[in-house]
Amino acid sequence: MEIKQEKQNSYISLAPIGDLDANSSLEMDECIQDWLEKGESNFHIDGQELKYISSAGIGVFISHLDEIRARGGKIIFSHLSASVFDVFKLLGLTEIVTIVKEGAEIAPHF
Amino acid sequence: MKQEIQVKCSKGNLALIRDFVNRWLDEQEVKGVLANQIVLAIDEACSNCMIHHHNCDGRSKIEVGLNYEGETIYVEIKDSGKAFPIDQYKPQAINDIIRKRNKGGMGIYLINQIMDEIEIEQQNDHFIYKFAKHLG
Repeated sequence: MEIKQEKQNSYISLAPIGDLDANSSLEMDECIQDWLEKGESNFHIDGQELKYISSAGIGVFISHLDEIRARGGKIIFSHLSASVFDVFKLLGLTEIVTIVKEGAEIAPHF
Repeated sequence: MKQEIQVKCSKGNLALIRDFVNRWLDEQEVKGVLANQIVLAIDEACSNCMIHHHNCDGRSKIEVGLNYEGETIYVEIKDSGKAFPIDQYKPQAINDIIRKRNKGGMGIYLINQIMDEIEIEQQNDHFIYKFAKHLG
Protein backbone atom coordinates (compact mmCIF):
# COMPACT_ATOMS: atom_id res chain seq x y z
CA MET A 1 0.00 0.00 0.00
CA GLU A 2 1.24 3.46 -0.88
CA ILE A 3 0.72 6.42 1.47
CA LYS A 4 0.93 9.94 0.05
CA GLN A 5 2.43 12.19 2.73
CA GLU A 6 2.39 15.97 2.73
CA LYS A 7 3.50 18.43 5.41
CA GLN A 8 1.16 21.39 5.59
CA ASN A 9 1.59 24.48 7.80
CA SER A 10 -0.34 23.15 10.76
CA TYR A 11 -0.78 19.44 10.07
CA ILE A 12 0.45 16.32 8.28
CA SER A 13 -1.76 15.02 5.49
CA LEU A 14 -1.67 11.25 4.92
CA ALA A 15 -3.53 9.67 2.01
CA PRO A 16 -3.51 5.84 1.97
CA ILE A 17 -4.02 4.36 -1.49
CA GLY A 18 -5.88 1.05 -1.76
CA ASP A 19 -6.81 -1.26 1.10
CA LEU A 20 -5.91 -0.71 4.75
CA ASP A 21 -6.21 -4.20 6.24
CA ALA A 22 -4.36 -6.56 8.59
CA ASN A 23 -1.64 -6.90 5.96
CA SER A 24 -0.99 -3.23 5.21
CA SER A 25 -1.82 -1.59 8.56
CA LEU A 26 1.78 -1.87 9.79
CA GLU A 27 2.93 0.56 7.08
CA MET A 28 0.40 3.16 8.20
CA ASP A 29 1.33 2.55 11.84
CA GLU A 30 5.03 3.12 11.13
CA CYS A 31 4.20 6.21 9.08
CA ILE A 32 2.21 7.85 11.92
CA GLN A 33 4.83 6.77 14.48
CA ASP A 34 7.61 8.40 12.39
CA TRP A 35 5.73 11.72 12.25
CA LEU A 36 4.96 11.55 15.99
CA GLU A 37 8.66 11.04 16.69
CA LYS A 38 9.39 14.14 14.61
CA GLY A 39 7.11 16.06 16.98
CA GLU A 40 3.99 16.29 14.80
CA SER A 41 0.62 15.95 16.54
CA ASN A 42 -1.98 17.02 13.96
CA PHE A 43 -2.98 14.59 11.24
CA HIS A 44 -5.36 14.75 8.32
CA ILE A 45 -6.26 11.32 6.92
CA ASP A 46 -7.45 11.83 3.36
CA GLY A 47 -9.62 8.85 2.37
CA GLN A 48 -10.07 9.84 -1.27
CA GLU A 49 -8.13 6.81 -2.52
CA LEU A 50 -8.85 4.50 0.41
CA LYS A 51 -10.89 1.65 -1.06
CA TYR A 52 -11.32 -0.54 2.02
CA ILE A 53 -10.63 -0.49 5.75
CA SER A 54 -10.80 -3.32 8.30
CA SER A 55 -10.61 -3.17 12.09
CA ALA A 56 -6.81 -3.54 11.81
CA GLY A 57 -6.69 -0.37 9.70
CA ILE A 58 -8.91 1.56 12.07
CA GLY A 59 -6.92 0.14 15.00
CA VAL A 60 -3.83 1.99 13.77
CA PHE A 61 -5.54 5.39 14.13
CA ILE A 62 -7.28 4.46 17.37
CA SER A 63 -4.07 3.25 19.01
CA HIS A 64 -2.40 6.66 18.45
CA LEU A 65 -5.44 8.76 19.32
CA ASP A 66 -4.84 8.92 23.08
CA GLU A 67 -1.21 10.05 22.64
CA ILE A 68 -2.17 12.61 19.99
CA ARG A 69 -4.87 14.07 22.22
CA ALA A 70 -2.50 14.10 25.22
CA ARG A 71 -0.18 16.28 23.13
CA GLY A 72 -3.05 18.59 22.23
CA GLY A 73 -3.24 17.29 18.68
CA LYS A 74 -6.03 15.90 16.49
CA ILE A 75 -6.78 13.37 13.75
CA ILE A 76 -9.26 14.58 11.16
CA PHE A 77 -10.66 12.25 8.48
CA SER A 78 -12.01 13.40 5.13
CA HIS A 79 -13.29 12.04 1.80
CA LEU A 80 -14.36 8.70 3.27
CA SER A 81 -16.37 6.52 0.88
CA ALA A 82 -19.80 5.31 2.05
CA SER A 83 -18.36 1.86 2.79
CA VAL A 84 -15.39 3.16 4.77
CA PHE A 85 -17.62 5.61 6.68
CA ASP A 86 -19.95 2.70 7.50
CA VAL A 87 -17.11 0.83 9.26
CA PHE A 88 -16.47 3.90 11.46
CA LYS A 89 -20.21 4.01 12.16
CA LEU A 90 -20.44 0.30 13.05
CA LEU A 91 -17.68 0.86 15.63
CA GLY A 92 -19.33 3.95 17.09
CA LEU A 93 -16.42 6.12 16.00
CA THR A 94 -18.40 8.78 14.15
CA GLU A 95 -19.18 10.37 17.53
CA ILE A 96 -15.57 10.12 18.74
CA VAL A 97 -13.38 11.24 15.83
CA THR A 98 -13.88 14.19 13.50
CA ILE A 99 -14.94 13.26 9.98
CA VAL A 100 -15.07 16.28 7.71
CA LYS A 101 -17.69 16.53 4.99
CA GLU A 102 -16.57 16.55 1.37
CA GLY A 103 -15.56 19.99 0.18
CA ALA A 104 -14.92 21.35 3.68
CA GLU A 105 -11.57 23.00 4.40
CA ILE A 106 -9.16 21.04 6.59
CA ALA A 107 -6.85 23.74 8.01
CA PRO A 108 -9.52 25.50 10.18
CA HIS A 109 -9.97 22.22 12.12
CA PHE A 110 -6.42 22.43 13.54
CA MET B 1 -24.76 -20.49 -6.37
CA LYS B 2 -22.30 -22.08 -3.95
CA GLN B 3 -18.62 -21.22 -4.33
CA GLU B 4 -15.46 -21.93 -2.33
CA ILE B 5 -11.90 -20.71 -2.13
CA GLN B 6 -8.96 -22.17 -0.27
CA VAL B 7 -5.97 -19.96 0.58
CA LYS B 8 -2.71 -20.25 2.47
CA CYS B 9 -2.54 -18.47 5.83
CA SER B 10 -0.55 -15.46 4.70
CA LYS B 11 -2.00 -12.00 5.44
CA GLY B 12 -1.22 -11.05 1.84
CA ASN B 13 -3.95 -13.52 0.81
CA LEU B 14 -6.68 -11.57 2.63
CA ALA B 15 -7.03 -9.43 -0.51
CA LEU B 16 -7.57 -12.63 -2.56
CA ILE B 17 -10.42 -13.65 -0.25
CA ARG B 18 -11.97 -10.16 -0.42
CA ASP B 19 -11.78 -10.17 -4.24
CA PHE B 20 -13.40 -13.61 -4.35
CA VAL B 21 -16.22 -12.56 -1.98
CA ASN B 22 -16.74 -9.23 -3.79
CA ARG B 23 -17.01 -10.95 -7.19
CA TRP B 24 -19.45 -13.53 -5.84
CA LEU B 25 -21.61 -10.89 -4.13
CA ASP B 26 -21.65 -8.86 -7.34
CA GLU B 27 -22.95 -11.94 -9.20
CA GLN B 28 -25.74 -12.19 -6.59
CA GLU B 29 -26.40 -8.45 -7.15
CA VAL B 30 -25.46 -7.62 -3.56
CA LYS B 31 -23.61 -4.31 -3.78
CA GLY B 32 -22.49 -1.16 -1.97
CA VAL B 33 -22.32 -0.81 1.81
CA LEU B 34 -24.11 -4.13 2.43
CA ALA B 35 -21.63 -6.01 0.24
CA ASN B 36 -18.74 -4.29 2.04
CA GLN B 37 -20.15 -5.33 5.43
CA ILE B 38 -20.25 -9.01 4.37
CA VAL B 39 -16.72 -8.78 2.93
CA LEU B 40 -15.57 -7.08 6.16
CA ALA B 41 -17.03 -9.76 8.46
CA ILE B 42 -15.35 -12.52 6.41
CA ASP B 43 -12.06 -10.59 6.29
CA GLU B 44 -12.12 -10.12 10.08
CA ALA B 45 -12.78 -13.83 10.70
CA CYS B 46 -10.10 -14.94 8.22
CA SER B 47 -7.46 -12.53 9.52
CA ASN B 48 -8.26 -13.74 13.04
CA CYS B 49 -7.69 -17.35 11.93
CA MET B 50 -4.47 -16.52 10.06
CA ILE B 51 -2.93 -14.42 12.85
CA HIS B 52 -4.15 -16.11 16.03
CA HIS B 53 -4.59 -19.74 14.98
CA HIS B 54 -1.74 -20.12 12.51
CA ASN B 55 0.70 -17.31 13.33
CA CYS B 56 0.57 -16.48 9.59
CA ASP B 57 2.21 -19.81 8.71
CA GLY B 58 1.89 -20.09 4.92
CA ARG B 59 1.86 -23.91 5.11
CA SER B 60 -1.59 -23.85 6.77
CA LYS B 61 -4.75 -23.23 4.78
CA ILE B 62 -8.26 -21.93 5.42
CA GLU B 63 -11.31 -22.40 3.26
CA VAL B 64 -14.17 -19.94 2.66
CA GLY B 65 -17.50 -21.14 1.26
CA LEU B 66 -20.39 -18.92 0.16
CA ASN B 67 -23.99 -19.76 -0.59
CA TYR B 68 -27.17 -17.74 -1.24
CA GLU B 69 -30.51 -19.34 -0.52
CA GLY B 70 -33.90 -17.78 0.13
CA GLU B 71 -32.71 -14.19 0.70
CA THR B 72 -29.95 -15.32 3.08
CA ILE B 73 -26.20 -15.31 2.50
CA TYR B 74 -24.49 -18.28 4.17
CA VAL B 75 -20.75 -18.18 4.91
CA GLU B 76 -18.59 -21.07 6.09
CA ILE B 77 -14.97 -20.61 7.12
CA LYS B 78 -13.21 -23.91 7.68
CA ASP B 79 -9.98 -23.97 9.65
CA SER B 80 -7.87 -26.50 11.48
CA GLY B 81 -7.37 -26.53 15.23
CA LYS B 82 -9.59 -25.19 17.98
CA ALA B 83 -12.07 -22.41 17.33
CA PHE B 84 -12.04 -19.09 19.18
CA PRO B 85 -15.56 -18.66 20.62
CA ILE B 86 -16.40 -15.55 18.61
CA ASP B 87 -20.11 -16.00 19.35
CA GLN B 88 -19.45 -15.52 23.09
CA TYR B 89 -17.22 -12.48 22.73
CA LYS B 90 -17.79 -9.63 25.20
CA PRO B 91 -16.95 -6.38 23.42
CA GLN B 92 -14.79 -3.68 25.01
CA ALA B 93 -16.10 -0.13 24.95
CA ILE B 94 -14.45 1.82 22.16
CA ASN B 95 -13.29 4.47 24.67
CA ASP B 96 -11.46 1.75 26.65
CA ILE B 97 -9.70 0.58 23.48
CA ILE B 98 -8.62 4.19 22.82
CA ARG B 99 -7.48 4.73 26.43
CA LYS B 100 -5.46 1.48 26.44
CA ARG B 101 -3.97 2.42 23.04
CA ASN B 102 -4.92 -1.01 21.67
CA LYS B 103 -4.78 -1.80 17.98
CA GLY B 104 -7.07 -4.84 18.21
CA GLY B 105 -10.26 -5.88 19.89
CA MET B 106 -12.73 -4.66 17.27
CA GLY B 107 -12.81 -7.42 14.63
CA ILE B 108 -15.03 -9.91 16.44
CA TYR B 109 -17.28 -7.06 17.55
CA LEU B 110 -17.74 -6.15 13.87
CA ILE B 111 -18.59 -9.76 12.92
CA ASN B 112 -21.25 -9.81 15.65
CA GLN B 113 -22.59 -6.43 14.51
CA ILE B 114 -22.86 -7.44 10.85
CA MET B 115 -23.97 -11.08 10.86
CA ASP B 116 -27.46 -12.20 11.91
CA GLU B 117 -26.42 -15.71 12.89
CA ILE B 118 -23.06 -16.99 14.13
CA GLU B 119 -22.38 -20.64 14.91
CA ILE B 120 -19.21 -22.61 15.49
CA GLU B 121 -19.05 -26.28 14.60
CA GLN B 122 -16.09 -27.95 16.25
CA GLN B 123 -15.04 -31.30 14.78
CA ASN B 124 -12.05 -33.50 15.60
CA ASP B 125 -9.25 -31.79 13.71
CA HIS B 126 -10.99 -28.67 12.43
CA PHE B 127 -13.80 -26.21 13.04
CA ILE B 128 -16.21 -24.24 10.89
CA TYR B 129 -17.40 -20.71 11.54
CA LYS B 130 -20.93 -20.50 10.12
CA PHE B 131 -22.38 -17.05 9.48
CA ALA B 132 -25.73 -16.06 8.02
CA LYS B 133 -26.84 -12.63 6.79
CA HIS B 134 -30.53 -12.16 6.03
CA LEU B 135 -31.15 -9.77 3.15
CA GLY B 136 -34.93 -9.87 2.98
